[in-house]
Amino acid sequence: MAKIAPQAATYAATLKPARKRGWGRVSPYLFVFPWLFGFLAFTLGPLIFSLVISFFDWPIVGQVKFVGFGNYVEMFTQDSLFWKSFGVTVKFAALFVPLNIVVALGLAMLLNQNVRGSAFFRTAFYLPSVISGVALAMIWAWVYSGEYGILNFFLSLVGIDGPDWLNDTKWSLVAMVIASLWGQGSMMLIFLAGLKGIPKDLYESASIDGAGRFRQFRSITIPMLSPTVLFNLITSIIAAFQQLTLALVLTGGGPLKSTYFYAMYMYENAFKYFKMGYSAANAWFMFIIVLGLSFLVFKSSAAWVYYEGEIKSGSKTKSGARRRSS
Amino acid sequence: MKKKSSALLLATMMGVSLLSACGGGGDKAGNGTPSASPSASPSAGSSSENTGGSENAGLTGTIRFASWDTGDALKIQQDIAKKFEQSHPGTKVQVEAYADGFDQKLAAGFGAANPPDVMYMWDFPTYHQSLEPLDDFASKDASLNIEDFYSGLFNYGKIDGKLYGIPVGFTTRVVYYNKKLFDEAQVPYPQDGWTWSDFQDIAAKLTDKSKKQYGFGVRASNDTYDLQGFVWSNGSSFISDDGKTIEGYMNSPETAEAIQIFGDLVKNGSGVLVGGKGQQSGEDIFKAGKLAMWESGIWPLGGFKEAGIDIGTVEMPAFPGKPVKGIIAESALSIAKDSKQKELAWEFVKFYVSAEAIKMRTADLPVRVSVVNELKVDQDPLYKPFYMMLERSDNTPAFLLNSKWNEVNRHLEAAVEAVVHGASAQEALNSAVKDGTRYLK
Repeated sequence: MAKIAPQAATYAATLKPARKRGWGRVSPYLFVFPWLFGFLAFTLGPLIFSLVISFFDWPIVGQVKFVGFGNYVEMFTQDSLFWKSFGVTVKFAALFVPLNIVVALGLAMLLNQNVRGSAFFRTAFYLPSVISGVALAMIWAWVYSGEYGILNFFLSLVGIDGPDWLNDTKWSLVAMVIASLWGQGSMMLIFLAGLKGIPKDLYESASIDGAGRFRQFRSITIPMLSPTVLFNLITSIIAAFQQLTLALVLTGGGPLKSTYFYAMYMYENAFKYFKMGYSAANAWFMFIIVLGLSFLVFKSSAAWVYYEGEIKSGSKTKSGARRRSS
Repeated sequence: MKKKSSALLLATMMGVSLLSACGGGGDKAGNGTPSASPSASPSAGSSSENTGGSENAGLTGTIRFASWDTGDALKIQQDIAKKFEQSHPGTKVQVEAYADGFDQKLAAGFGAANPPDVMYMWDFPTYHQSLEPLDDFASKDASLNIEDFYSGLFNYGKIDGKLYGIPVGFTTRVVYYNKKLFDEAQVPYPQDGWTWSDFQDIAAKLTDKSKKQYGFGVRASNDTYDLQGFVWSNGSSFISDDGKTIEGYMNSPETAEAIQIFGDLVKNGSGVLVGGKGQQSGEDIFKAGKLAMWESGIWPLGGFKEAGIDIGTVEMPAFPGKPVKGIIAESALSIAKDSKQKELAWEFVKFYVSAEAIKMRTADLPVRVSVVNELKVDQDPLYKPFYMMLERSDNTPAFLLNSKWNEVNRHLEAAVEAVVHGASAQEALNSAVKDGTRYLK
């Protein structure tokens, strides 16, 4: 025993400096290397490259030409399709984002009830999220079909003569919103996790104090869930601005460009008209818009998001929310 | 630098073509590194093959052949490729069906300097810089027998006087009609030389909404290329002959009148919008016996016959006092500039337009006069109007007149879509001209 201990000590002594100087120093980087490589080669590299080519006239076939801010000037001042598609996307986001939050939260609250078979419903509501975007769009193409669609069949049962959803300019964007809502099970799941995380005793004490269901929802659920809402709000906004698959498969941007999303405009510039530089400029504009919106939401979050671990005596809203909830 | 960076950009798109290139590359020693040194190998490859193989002998290797067709039409091409392999031992033709992604995949191939050797082609203004001029091949090679082709067909493959594509098939456009529906309504069949007002009368007479039967099917989204025949027939065009102006052409009263016809048909109910998203195509409705007339090329003819519809075909209607004009939709074969085996590629192209191969191509019309005469295609009453329309097809389509036409067309397409959905043709075309003019500068 006595012999082993010093041996171990010398072993440790020889190992320690070696770890610091040689192999041990590199190994952490080797462990991150796969990620780092992926990040540099497939995220940061293309990102910077796309910024570079946005200053060029860059066709796939033919000569590359430097145009400075030409692409940006062209899209802001001359391209009617740019504004048109941007408008469509903003309209879509304005409809989709709030509805998405409300529907996902509503479903999560339903699933949070302790009823029999809630596990089944949880699976059923999440199921659409498992289906890939294109397959989902194909399903909706059938659902929406004016003549043979199941949606209009159900509407006809209650005496409503349904529109030809995908070929009617009044309804096509609404159809996009509905189809997009259907696949948002992951958001519902995040809400559900958030709901499960709210301590039961808050509700208990509230009901002892005589707070009704709605009051409990407003004063406990909403504040306690606000970080989750923030996260879902931001991912919703990003998803709304990136919406492409549905339009591409369901409507092709039509009818009459009523579902011509900005992402689709960008996609067509790149892969139909092969204007890579111009399309990269489009993409950077979108990037900045989404960045700006996310920034605004984060900024505003100070006023409405409540973190449990947060101890800020100065914030009135939060202490107010607390007072109300207890 | 440029090649490297665009290769990076297109990394995802290239997946398919790279894979297939590797698959075929092993067969030939000289083709082992398909994309590594595009600048060095073409000269070495083609010159060495040049000496040995001008007379078809000794040419071996694998060539890649890209097609946009699918289904039966693709099957025919695969059969022709097999025939070529049989008659040219030691060769292999790898048919790559790009289908809907044709342009994307082709552009990616060119961008990465790894294009297919031989490809289907129609959009010469966009791609000609990446294609091999074929004048030398064609003039040196007497066995091609250029005189035997319908003369107008070569114009579509020429840019700045250089020939970039050999026509392999084409079609003109006619009006199909369902004889049974005409008989039931006791309306006489349309005759060559009819006018657009005849057309509108007939369409109205043959519409019976209680049976969901319509006189004509109007496409919800039209290929403006196909509409040029109507516009020419009314003495106008989408773009000036020098390819520099659209103001006063694309939005001339005559152009608007021609496009408005389709909008009016939908408005007054004697035409029905077809082929929108989730809707049946015009061909399907015609096959179901619910459309009296349908306008198209040769493609649906076989399907109509199979469906048991008693069809007739007739020339396009005329605007009063003006000659009817037609449009040709042509497929050509081109050879990539970056191809390492141009001699073999040329041999394949030549085989593709041999009488033997043309007879196998039943999906469109034969390009050789001798084949037509032998098979008496133009004597068949169903086929005859196609050949009469061919004689009327001597205008130059817009895309050949300006290399930026694709982008102008984006706005024209939107305008036409607006018209068939009820907008005024004159107003829609005016705004298309306003949006499209900037590309021409």
